[in-house]
Amino acid sequence: MPLKDIPKMTEDQEPSRNQKLKWILSGIFIFALIMGPGPGLYLVNDFAAAGGTFIGVPALYAWAVFWFAVEAGVVITAYLTIWRDKAE
Amino acid sequence: MSFTNLFAALDMGITPHVIIVLYMIMLLAFGIIGYLKSKTSEEDYYLAGRDQGVLVTSLTIMATMFSSAAMLGIPGLIYKDGVAFLFFTLNLPLSGAAIYILGSRIWRIGRTRGYITPADLVTDCYGGSGLLRSLIALVGFLYVIPYIVMQIKAGGYLAQRMFPDVESILFMGQEIGIFEMGTIALSILTMLYVLIGGMRSVAWTDVVQGILLLSGMLVAGTATVMAMGGPVSFFGQLSELQPEALSVPGPSGIWSPWKLMTLCMFASLSTMIQPGQWMRYYAASSPKTLKRSAIVFSTLLPCCFLFGVMLVGLGARALYPPILENGVLMPHPAVGSQAGGFDQVVVAMLQEHVPLLLGPTLGVVIVSLILVAIMAASMSTADSNLHALSAVLTRDVYDRFIRPGAGEKERAWFGRGVIVVATLLALWLVNLGEQDPNFKPIALIAQLMFVAMAFSCQLLPLALDALFLRKGTQTGAICGITSGILIVFLFTPFPQLILSDGLTASVKGLTGTLSGLFDIGFCGFIVNAAVFAIVSQFTKRPSKERTEAFARDLKISIPRASPEVFTRGK
Repeated sequence: MPLKDIPKMTEDQEPSRNQKLKWILSGIFIFALIMGPGPGLYLVNDFAAAGGTFIGVPALYAWAVFWFAVEAGVVITAYLTIWRDKAE
Repeated sequence: MSFTNLFAALDMGITPHVIIVLYMIMLLAFGIIGYLKSKTSEEDYYLAGRDQGVLVTSLTIMATMFSSAAMLGIPGLIYKDGVAFLFFTLNLPLSGAAIYILGSRIWRIGRTRGYITPADLVTDCYGGSGLLRSLIALVGFLYVIPYIVMQIKAGGYLAQRMFPDVESILFMGQEIGIFEMGTIALSILTMLYVLIGGMRSVAWTDVVQGILLLSGMLVAGTATVMAMGGPVSFFGQLSELQPEALSVPGPSGIWSPWKLMTLCMFASLSTMIQPGQWMRYYAASSPKTLKRSAIVFSTLLPCCFLFGVMLVGLGARALYPPILENGVLMPHPAVGSQAGGFDQVVVAMLQEHVPLLLGPTLGVVIVSLILVAIMAASMSTADSNLHALSAVLTRDVYDRFIRPGAGEKERAWFGRGVIVVATLLALWLVNLGEQDPNFKPIALIAQLMFVAMAFSCQLLPLALDALFLRKGTQTGAICGITSGILIVFLFTPFPQLILSDGLTASVKGLTGTLSGLFDIGFCGFIVNAAVFAIVSQFTKRPSKERTEAFARDLKISIPRASPEVFTRGK
């Protein structure tokens, strides 16, 4: 479908979509906090203690980098989509 | 070889002296330029005219948050506790998000209503209580003072390590060693440029200090990885560490996942609402500035930790594993000779490896620059905290309770007086602690870093309610924050000074169990929020007009015609 034919969102639809996105991003962020530094760590802790690695990197270090990437991804998505200010 | 001997063995020549003198001249120049550009108003002194751009805002927020702990304490904990403490980094994206989510609302209403301190906003929401204002000022004070003392101490330690051969001098019958000289130089210089230039010079110096800090963190990490044979060899050596160092709760057994998670959530938010940061939200030129600062903070800063300075701690763990002496975990002799020597790991590693990697000349320059970066980390936190303390005590205490009719000029002089007194007090405490290692308040201060954050966390329920919900009442806020402060107080060693032995043992048992499971700030927050919510249900709410006007000003910014409208019209 050509771009010009895609129906534009009305003023009412835009905040509703943003509201939904806000909840999704918040959910992912909280999930990342639970899985990263939180109890989700137990999923890899035994593997890490046994000297386990992901692509040569110690398991917990790789785990921390991965969940940092998720958190940073959420913040970047929020920056690009829902962080809109009336003053801008 | 001890740390000091290591440094002496490396012929640093006059390079560190030259670099430090240049750095100090630059800081004073910023103070003077800040003064020349300033206007006479209180708002200009504390908030730099509310027109700070993205670069200044983001770097001053970063530099304020990261004290000497970023370059000394945190790598030291990684060296001691292995990979477990690495997860502390995951608080930074949340802190970054808070810069925009909380900061933009604080900015809007701050601009509309001319707020300067955190208490201006919170008390205005609930009805202007003097008691609530004093409690918020107390929370700020409990956060700020330990930080200033810690930064000044770092100046002394750095001086000791950079200039180990400097002889003591006699001044007015007192022997002043290199440690005292370092603390005096760092505190007096910081005090001078804060006094002269206010927020403008603090923020400008924070820009330079922030750049030095971030580059120092990355260079330190890169140098360590390269010195250990590149990334493959580095991670290969890490994967051979003892199992405790590769897993949670770490060799000291204190970093359980629940504790790490609550620390990431609450320590980060409490740091982002401490007075120095809060005032930076007011000082930003627009929410767009805060939004960009948030993204820089959330992405760049964790990288400097994960791929920078934390690698130094991990590398040291592989090269110089800590040793157990009489049941006490001690750093390897190549790092330090005392239990507190874990903090020396970055300097020891750099000193050992950078000159070998880059050659003696460039190596010494880079080591000197990183040492200046550590000093910058200390100064950038000390200056922001001094400046914030001055604003809090002037506006929330002096102006409210001591001299309500004081003019703007008088308040400005009182604020400068606070800076001088706070600096001298912190300096006195540091030197008293050095002369008497058993001097309890100083022995406690090192342990109080997380406790200080926990005190700051007690402003969080009020801040969240004022900014988003507005369901609370003034009495609820007073009861909530008081109970939160008391709960955190129970986690400090102070209760043993006032409670009976039996009661102290019971309190210690309970707080010991809780602090093993959760962040202290989180424990206080839960009680604070519960008391706040319950009491608010049964007490009188602020008028509907007040709440609606407050909610409107949080969403739309209306610049004031003149700062005088607020300062005179309270």
